Amino acid sequence: MTPAIEMHDVTKSFGRVRALDGVELAVAPGEVHGFLGPNGAGKSTAIRVLLGLLRADSGTARVLGRDPWHDAVPLHRRLAYVPGDVELWPNLTGGAAIDLLSRLRGGADPARRDELCARFDLDPGKKGRTYSKGNRQKVALIAALASDVELLLLDEPTAGLDPLMEAAFQECIREAREAGRTVLLSSHVLAQVEVLADRLSIVRQGRIVESGSLDELRHLTRTSVEAVTRQPADALAELPGVHDLRTENGRLRFEVDGDQLAPVVRYLGEHDVHALSAHPPTLEQLLLRHYGDGTSSGADGGRAA
Amino acid sequence: MTTASVLPARNGLAPGGLTGTGKLLVFMLRRDRVRFFGWTLGLALLMTYFSSAMGALAETEEDLESFAGFARTPAGAMFGGPGFGFDALTVERFLVGEYGLYLLTGAGLMGLLTVVRHTRAEERAGRTELIRANVVGRHAQLTAALLLATLMATVTALLIAAVMIGGGYDTTGSLVFGAGAGACALAFAGTAAATVQMSAQPRAAAGTAGAVLGAAFALRALGDMAHVQQSGPSWLSWLSPIGWSQQTAPYTLDRWWPLLLSLAFAAATAALGYATSMRRDLGAGLFPPRHGAPRAAPWLNSPLALAFRLHGPGLVGWSAAVLLGSGAYGSFTQPLLDGLEDAPGEVVTLLGGADNLLDGYLGTMGLMWAFVAGTHAVLAVQSLRNEETEGRTEPVLATAVGRRALLGGHLTVVGLSTLWLLLLAGLGDGIGAAASTGDAGLLGETVLGHVAHAPAVWLVLALAALLYGAAPGAVPLVWAVLAYGLFAGFFGPLLELPEVAQSVSPFAHIGEYPAETLSVASLAVLTALAALCTAAALAAFRRRDVVTQA
Repeated sequence: MTPAIEMHDVTKSFGRVRALDGVELAVAPGEVHGFLGPNGAGKSTAIRVLLGLLRADSGTARVLGRDPWHDAVPLHRRLAYVPGDVELWPNLTGGAAIDLLSRLRGGADPARRDELCARFDLDPGKKGRTYSKGNRQKVALIAALASDVELLLLDEPTAGLDPLMEAAFQECIREAREAGRTVLLSSHVLAQVEVLADRLSIVRQGRIVESGSLDELRHLTRTSVEAVTRQPADALAELPGVHDLRTENGRLRFEVDGDQLAPVVRYLGEHDVHALSAHPPTLEQLLLRHYGDGTSSGADGGRAA
Repeated sequence: MTTASVLPARNGLAPGGLTGTGKLLVFMLRRDRVRFFGWTLGLALLMTYFSSAMGALAETEEDLESFAGFARTPAGAMFGGPGFGFDALTVERFLVGEYGLYLLTGAGLMGLLTVVRHTRAEERAGRTELIRANVVGRHAQLTAALLLATLMATVTALLIAAVMIGGGYDTTGSLVFGAGAGACALAFAGTAAATVQMSAQPRAAAGTAGAVLGAAFALRALGDMAHVQQSGPSWLSWLSPIGWSQQTAPYTLDRWWPLLLSLAFAAATAALGYATSMRRDLGAGLFPPRHGAPRAAPWLNSPLALAFRLHGPGLVGWSAAVLLGSGAYGSFTQPLLDGLEDAPGEVVTLLGGADNLLDGYLGTMGLMWAFVAGTHAVLAVQSLRNEETEGRTEPVLATAVGRRALLGGHLTVVGLSTLWLLLLAGLGDGIGAAASTGDAGLLGETVLGHVAHAPAVWLVLALAALLYGAAPGAVPLVWAVLAYGLFAGFFGPLLELPEVAQSVSPFAHIGEYPAETLSVASLAVLTALAALCTAAALAAFRRRDVVTQA
């Protein structure tokens, strides 16, 4: 079966800045693929190459089996895109922008559009210039989700949404998967992608550094735990899935694989835990841990090759 | 510079409304360190150029007298001024009387653009919010912007006066002339202080203030035309801030008091700005945003339709302004001919005789409107570039819309709208001329003469498009083509510009019908060149990366 998305050794430079440095990416049809990376890692650039908005310097890119630069128009009938930073026409209403973008793509189901407007709680009668960032994002999302397309390219689609709307978004993506659509979902927050993605690719400084199913990347989804127990909990280190156990001032700090959390919590309970905090590691922490350098938030730091 | 920032913050009714003005002004000066000298020195250099060119060309009395022939006609008054002291002409009187207008208009633009740039544009970009969250008073930004504009106006006034004094002209007259330019800059800085409060869009604010500048230009044109023929509503000049600066009559009457009107106007409009700024929220206009239709109109379904939707609202304003302006200028045809009856015989002969004067006037008007249409075309291509850099082109190109269809749609709409504007201008001038002279036959001739300029305008549009397609950052370079065309078209013959230099302008070939015959060959060549550039533009746009945000 032809992959929905295929990138092989793709490079792209802007002046002296190397935004993509040999990207390898494969997304199978019908899969929700998480595209993870810190800000400035090259996610948006890669997506724009896949859209034929930017021309790769070298390497090959294939979308639905075709060249995105040369076959942009026929390809775009079969895909929909939500940019990371949605800008609307100041004096067009949100509803008009949704209709326009859907029609330019080849039409959309009006009933579906109205249903999505309701689900995302969007007032389509307001002018573009009066929308907040989150509402502009909703406009682009509704225009994309209302279209009957094979592939959705979503660049940080939930960046401006509140938790309630994020839940609505997740539901829509699940529906899209059930309908057999392929989704490329970029984000810089692991937790956002984790709940939806079948597979993940992690991009850092213009290269894919990790790629695989969630199970394969289980080592990346450990939970960081901090606990204080009344009884000594020395045997914790021997439990399966526990890593990097340290004790500082009577506080236990360790990491535990997601699927081993239950026995660990049970063990802590048995030892009279009276303070407990657990949180998923941030992407920056993961990358720091696995690659030993700061890819931190700085966009330039991330881009420099 | 710290005096303003130490104003007590607990001061009764207006707690520290001006706090931070000094610091903001320093910051604005720093941001504008190039722009500041670009405007002020640029205006002074323009005057230097006019002065040295005239000095070289008008070496004898007769030379000067021959220049003045045109200047004394109503058409000369329209593009020059009331012509004080032209009955005893000197080089400096001619300089300020005929070219001063362009310095005044430039100074007005400087004033209004400076204020918009540092108030509404900042607010729209979200930077005002950052600043106002600091220890900065409510009125500090507007005050600092007005102070900056005042500083620029003062420097402009002094530099222009220095240039003229350095040219050996009378000191008082030079100071009056420089002060007139400065006062004009202030008047429009004040105007902008008011217009930036109205709309949340910087472009609308600059556009409204620009419309006031355009109205000021047109009012004094009509008033001055009436003045030189000594009949008609010459008081119209007194409704115009540009007119007030001209009424100082430098080197002739040297009167200062008309500038008091300019200062009062600046103060009143600025006060209006302060007052209205209290009645609106940060980031909002004076009027609340309206709700619109929750669905797109059925016809909005193609890149061509989108281009029409984006350019349409602006075109309505352009159409109204062009129709109004051309109607006014056209209806001056008969008064112009009447005025000429008293003119000295050699002047009439110089202009090609009384019959040709009518045709010459209508032909010149056609050329003038061609530049207006060209301005519309370049602004439209610049707005297309803004669409791209501001991130609205990307989602469209991510749909099933090709690059060629997108750019082609815009160029089709803009190409047709320039034709439409020329047609409207022709109708306005033609109907005005026909009504005032009673000769209905003028309408057809005038419309044809106006519309015939379309290929030259299209070439300008195509050049702008080519730059947009190949090197989008370079689009503003096309202004040079328009500016040069304007210069060569109106001042080239007067300043004895070599034939070759004049023919570089796309506007120099078609002919100013009905005064001259239309060159069919030029029409064809210019249209072909425009088509060629358009094809190149479409090809280039297909080959480049789309400019995207971060």
